[in-house]
Amino acid sequence: MVEITFVHPDGNRRTVGAAPGTSIMQAARDNGINEIIAECGGAMACATCHCYVDDAWTDRVGRRDDAEDDMLDFAEGEVRDTSRLSCQIALSEALDGVIVHLPDVQG
Amino acid sequence: MAQAPINEAVSLADLARDPYSIYRRMRLETPIVEVPAARRIMLTKAKHTRMVKDNAELYSSDDPVTPMQRAFQAHTLMRKDGPEHRAERMAMQKALSPKVIKSDWAELYRKIASDYLDRLPRGERVDLFTDLCGPVAARILAHILGLDEASDADMMRWSQTLIDGAGNFGFAEDPFAKSDAANAEMNAYFDRIEARHRAEPNNSAFSIMLNAANPLPIGQIHSNIKIAIGGGINEPRDALATILYGLLSNPEQLEEVKRTEAWSDAFEEGVRWVAPIQASSRRVTEAHQIDGIDIPEGVTLMTIQASANHDEDLFENGHLFDVFRKKAPHQAFGSGPHHCSGAQVARKTVGEIMLPMIFERFPNMELVPDEKVIWHGFGFRGPLNLPVTLN
Ligand code: HEM
Ligand code: FES
Repeated sequence: MVEITFVHPDGNRRTVGAAPGTSIMQAARDNGINEIIAECGGAMACATCHCYVDDAWTDRVGRRDDAEDDMLDFAEGEVRDTSRLSCQIALSEALDGVIVHLPDVQG
Repeated sequence: MAQAPINEAVSLADLARDPYSIYRRMRLETPIVEVPAARRIMLTKAKHTRMVKDNAELYSSDDPVTPMQRAFQAHTLMRKDGPEHRAERMAMQKALSPKVIKSDWAELYRKIASDYLDRLPRGERVDLFTDLCGPVAARILAHILGLDEASDADMMRWSQTLIDGAGNFGFAEDPFAKSDAANAEMNAYFDRIEARHRAEPNNSAFSIMLNAANPLPIGQIHSNIKIAIGGGINEPRDALATILYGLLSNPEQLEEVKRTEAWSDAFEEGVRWVAPIQASSRRVTEAHQIDGIDIPEGVTLMTIQASANHDEDLFENGHLFDVFRKKAPHQAFGSGPHHCSGAQVARKTVGEIMLPMIFERFPNMELVPDEKVIWHGFGFRGPLNLPVTLN
């Protein structure tokens, strides 16, 4: 099990567990984190799974690639350096404890 | 070995008239079922339709015998898979992004919506389906795509002709003769405005594709625009008419929507309730089973998103329009790599701009009591008329 903490726009936090190999998007959907809509089911075709990786975790999570960057143009919320599409972040033991912030708007 | 049960009884005419009661029985008794009338195996449960749409390797969009290719005179992005599909889709994506809509178009759309509402006569019976929903969707799409000079009537005619051709599974002559003529008109028009888009680029789909760092070949640019013409008018038109009907026939919900400004929820509920695109097709690339039923290689599956959106697993009383129902994900915009590129455009233009403006302008609008609203369609569905009085 890998732990992920979601920080809602109002500052409330929720920590959930997920199996390595799934994505942060999947973990959010499985746990009713409603800010992650993920309408395309992880195909990188909708940008409604946008999140911000906590500054302390950006190196371990890694940066978005060009294709993901193009798709982030489609995000409704403000895109920052730490913006990622949560369907493109695979969970591994190395990400145990990862913190992601949720945007205030999402499509 | 368990072959899909076969439903010989149901016809396409039955499905066009009253699909929801048929799908309800299918979900209950034969959720995976071969329907000879449609020459397809239908999937009616939300978990199955989503699984198929999300797995493009096992369920390909590439249909070698689709009439769509003949109608569009091109192999279009809707029927491609993998990187080739992605490249074509992304080429147009920016023009349809929520940010560009907000920054470049929102004001214009408000003005268009307002002008079209101004034209409607007060105190009389008006058919909003023909006099508002279609034309306003056509006008807005013309600007998104960069086809400013095209009239509403031309946009609607091109769109319908392409759709009729793409649905011409019997390969009859006439629909293709019409789509050929429409293609010739569109190509000539696109050629005429190309110089303008090169000289004065804007954030329309045509400009963005023409002026990209690595542009697509011009033929693909044209077919992308045509796909958007074919896919971008009837659906928002039908969605708007469906939501208006849902709200007008449930006045207590309408009051609550106005009070809480729940227009986006009304939009989502409308497209869930009667999905403008009810079904899609995918070709099976490898034999396998779904829930113990054999799915042979090469067969075409039909995902019935209309049925998925009424699935008892997710929605209680899914046949009712209820803006305030418990939220669950619907599939009106599909899922997976072919998820609707225009979803955000539709949400903004119909949900955020049109709906509140219509009810603000005509707070006492009513359905005409003795005129029946007629619903029709199997592949695409919506009301065919929406008679109201505007006070
Ligand atoms: C309420 C309105 C709309 C609904 C319900 C809707 C629904 C859909 C659905 C279900 C699909 C997926 C088809 C499949 O999986 O085979 C789709 C694809 C598509 N839609 Fe929409 N649509 C709407 C509005 C629009 C608008 C306004 C545009 C253009 C501006 C548009 C452009 C497209 C395009 C280009 C595709 C193909 C995407 C691809 O194959 O990658 N749609 N739409
Ligand atoms: S779920 Fe659609 S882009 Fe991530």
